[in-house]
Amino acid sequence: MPTPDTVRLRSVSKVYGSAPRSVTALDSVTTEFPAGSFTAVMGPSGSGKSTLLHCAAGLDRPTGGEVLLGGTDLGGLDETKLTELRRERIGFVFQSYNLVSALTAAQNVALPLRLAGRRPRPSEVDGALAEVGLGARGTHLPSEMSGGEQQRVALARALVTRPAAVFADEPTGALDSKTSRDVLTLLRGVVDRHRQTVVMVTHDPVAASYADRVLLMVDGRITEELTGSLTAESIATANRRGTSC
Amino acid sequence: MLSIASIKSRWTSFIGTFVAVFLGVAILSMTGLVLLSAHPTVPERYRDTPVFAQSPTVDQQDSMFTDGKPWSAAKAGDLVVAFEQIPGVARAIPDRTFYAQPVLGGDPVTDVDQGYPWSAAELAPYRLASGSPPHQADDVVVPETLGVSAGTTLTMLTAAGPAQYRVVGTVDGPGIYLSDSEAARMSPGVRAIGLRLDPGADQDAVQAGARTALGADGQVLAGAARAELEPMADQRVRWIGDQVLTGLGSLSAFVSMFVVASTFAFVVAQRRRELGLLRAIGATPRQVRRVLFGEALAIAVVAGLLGSVLGGVLAPVLGDLLISAGLEPRTFVVETQLLALAGAFVVGLLVAMAGVWAAGRRAARIRPLEALREATVDSTPMTKGRWWAGGVCSGIGLLLIGLTVLGDPEDMTTNSLYAAMALIVGSTLLAPVVIPPVVRLLTAPLASSAVGMIVRGSALTAVRRTASTAAPVLLTVGLAVLISGMVETSMGGYAAARELATRAVAIVIPNGTPGLSDQAATASPGAALLPTELYTDDRRHFPATGIDPAAFAQANTKLDNALDGLVGPDTAAITASAASQLGVRAGDTTRLTFEDGLLVTLRVVAVLPNSAAPTPILLPRKTVRDHAPTALTAAVHVLGSPPTTAPLGAQALDRAAYAASADADEDRLVRIFVALLVIVALGYTALSIANTLLMATASRITDFTTLRRAGATRRQVTLTAAAESALSVTIGATLGFLIALLALYANATGLSHHLGTPLSLSIPWQVPLTAITLSLALALTATTLPIHLSLRHRPLT
Ligand SMILES: Nc1ncnc2c1ncn2[C@@H]1O[C@H](COP(=O)(O)OP(=O)(O)O)[C@@H](O)[C@H]1O
Ligand SMILES: [Mg+2]
Repeated sequence: MPTPDTVRLRSVSKVYGSAPRSVTALDSVTTEFPAGSFTAVMGPSGSGKSTLLHCAAGLDRPTGGEVLLGGTDLGGLDETKLTELRRERIGFVFQSYNLVSALTAAQNVALPLRLAGRRPRPSEVDGALAEVGLGARGTHLPSEMSGGEQQRVALARALVTRPAAVFADEPTGALDSKTSRDVLTLLRGVVDRHRQTVVMVTHDPVAASYADRVLLMVDGRITEELTGSLTAESIATANRRGTSC
Repeated sequence: MLSIASIKSRWTSFIGTFVAVFLGVAILSMTGLVLLSAHPTVPERYRDTPVFAQSPTVDQQDSMFTDGKPWSAAKAGDLVVAFEQIPGVARAIPDRTFYAQPVLGGDPVTDVDQGYPWSAAELAPYRLASGSPPHQADDVVVPETLGVSAGTTLTMLTAAGPAQYRVVGTVDGPGIYLSDSEAARMSPGVRAIGLRLDPGADQDAVQAGARTALGADGQVLAGAARAELEPMADQRVRWIGDQVLTGLGSLSAFVSMFVVASTFAFVVAQRRRELGLLRAIGATPRQVRRVLFGEALAIAVVAGLLGSVLGGVLAPVLGDLLISAGLEPRTFVVETQLLALAGAFVVGLLVAMAGVWAAGRRAARIRPLEALREATVDSTPMTKGRWWAGGVCSGIGLLLIGLTVLGDPEDMTTNSLYAAMALIVGSTLLAPVVIPPVVRLLTAPLASSAVGMIVRGSALTAVRRTASTAAPVLLTVGLAVLISGMVETSMGGYAAARELATRAVAIVIPNGTPGLSDQAATASPGAALLPTELYTDDRRHFPATGIDPAAFAQANTKLDNALDGLVGPDTAAITASAASQLGVRAGDTTRLTFEDGLLVTLRVVAVLPNSAAPTPILLPRKTVRDHAPTALTAAVHVLGSPPTTAPLGAQALDRAAYAASADADEDRLVRIFVALLVIVALGYTALSIANTLLMATASRITDFTTLRRAGATRRQVTLTAAAESALSVTIGATLGFLIALLALYANATGLSHHLGTPLSLSIPWQVPLTAITLSLALALTATTLPIHLSLRHRPLT
């Protein structure tokens, strides 16, 4: 029996464009992300990682197959229902450009709650910011913060609604190694402390080693799944192997 | 929260919306206040007389503003006797008006041309400032303001001609006063009788008594209802003023909406990424739309409040302007009414909401993943909704063009104006389809240069941006060409029709007077036209003209019937349409009331084609003169040699000059109207051009910095930007010009059907040239200045 909040993909395909010039970004992918798991997705550029994440998170609609969150088929929801589901149960962090530049950090974090029609309690927002180590920066605008700080605000926003699953597309791609470690530790904590699901795309074997499981993708397909005790070295080796063949 | 925050952080994008709503509401509240204040008021001359009896009014459906059917002198005399028997009535005073214009230093005094019986001064009441009341036929009392003192001799023009009068006194109000008997000779008919009451009289009882005495032969007016006694001429002036104001108000609402719509279309295009991000983190399409509506609403509330304050301040100024332009009676006062201000404010909000509507729909369709896109490439510049809306607007425009050509000539001008508006909106919506081929065509010669290549490329990839910068130019040039061309063409048309219709070598028309006296009219041999009014018993009326049949037939090119029978005091020639309205044929008789209140049986001696007579009914000149002693001749079509010296209060024009002179009064009003519309349209769109281009340029500074990094000199970058806006202006001007030309063509065709003369399109070229030059100058300044400034300070890295 899957737990209610498992994210499952069944033969998910995504084809861009039409007939002669079409690109198959996802080729009938089937996998699942159980509740409380931390999965890293790796693969060469253009292999379909981002597309997989977007489809799984309900940001984009696949051209074939189905995506389920718990028992809900995302394909069966209209745009508004899908948005509401995303707002309540899914968090998302892009590689960059995550914050509304006109709003302060605290206002950005409060945004999903406000969009859901709730008046956020100050403790909720402050708590989420404190959790990512930015308790004192709530009144700052994004332009007054470093890239790492902005990413952490984005993470606080993704977490504030206590979503079942958090998706992050290269969240550390634009950060230095020290800042990357902070963000990864935060993600690890999300899984360990709150039993939320985290799915993260990364190029960096060190980042991937924070996960419980690594999916390797090539040409829109999952070619390998690594579990057990993962080290940066073993991941790097497997990743090279996958890419070369 | 989000709306306010983004307004704060991107206020430059919203200046355009703010100013558009601000000006729109200011103009609307100003015109609204003036319109609401422009209702009839109790004439100053009747101020202190509580109850009036008024002769039967005529039906005003034809918008000709004709005064009521007068009582005859005998009937008025009977009524005075009857009224004075009512308990509480101290005096019943009949009022009469006639033409009397003092001549000072050889020239008729302008705006002093109304004569009254001395006893009617009591109605205001006006008092003698010096001297004594008039008793003899040549005694006159003049206003103190005329500067003539009692005891002097004064030359005065009346319908008969200039004559010497003895000034016996001066009065502290307006108007020329003759003795009651002389006034009754000049104007036998009476339209109003004022009732002065005894102190403490029961006004209701007096009214009831007066109603009984009057019967069905008019109406009794008291209190505010006395406003109905206002002369129809004043009401006509006010009506024209109302038309101008309504035109001004609706034009400014239209342009405001246009500006708000294009500003917000732009804001959405600029903020696709941010709106995508909002969608990604959980904003539903509805919520995204609400963000935009919230922004528009917040801006519109502030702009609308300030605008209505400005409108309230400016309304009295506009009122004074209208008075001095002759578009409102001299007694006009602007009252500050909260209703007008609140109304304009609400319209401002609605205009802003309507303007943001389309942009909001588009914003709601933005997908979450657009947060990841950096470049602005219009993947789908034409949406289904845009095709539809553009198609429908253009369709309506073309339909109205058809109506202009074939429909009712009365609605021709409005139809072609609405046609142009619909076509302007339609082509703005369809611009993304029209623009690429136009851009290719225009940039073909430049395609080989680097600048040319970049300009072409960016105009084609960002079609919507090109469209929205071209839109205001389209609007300005379109409206300027249309309005000015319409006036020019129709004036040319009427002039041509007038020239064709007469064989006279010269025409004598009034000069500084409301009409020609008999002396001026008979000074030159020819066809003199003496207009008057005839009334039926069922509230209808027919304009009539007194003529000399032989001279009239000689001068008129359209007359083929003989008017020989038009001699006796009971004869009339009538047009075919008047014949059918009166239900008579040649040889029949019909009973009509004249200006002196007498009912006369007239025999129809000829039925004429409608275009052959200036009025529905023609009478022998003597008949008109006998029944309307104060009527003035409108014009004399001179046959034979023109007079060497113009008679007093007249001027002689040759055929061409007469054709071009148009109806001086109408002409002036139309010109004021056009000037107002063109100024408002130009002012607004100038704002809109500057606004869109500033926004466009600000959002493209990064693009231009990239160009610099790729090795372009600052001059090349500035040149590129300048060429891009010049291209937008050219596209807008071309489309606007073509649309206006289409509407003008329809208007000219319709008009030439109506007038029965072939007509050529004429456009006063300086108007579109000014509009285009202004647009271009604004566009170039608004683009190159910010680029120049920002590139100077911005390092390349
Ligand atoms: N909007 C799009 N339109 C067309 N093709 C796309 C689009 N997005 C992605 N692709 C194509 O789909 C494939 C997978 O892309 P993506 O999922 O972004 O790969 P990754 O994230 O692994 O680098 C690539 O070949 C890419 O070019
Ligand atoms: Mg990617």
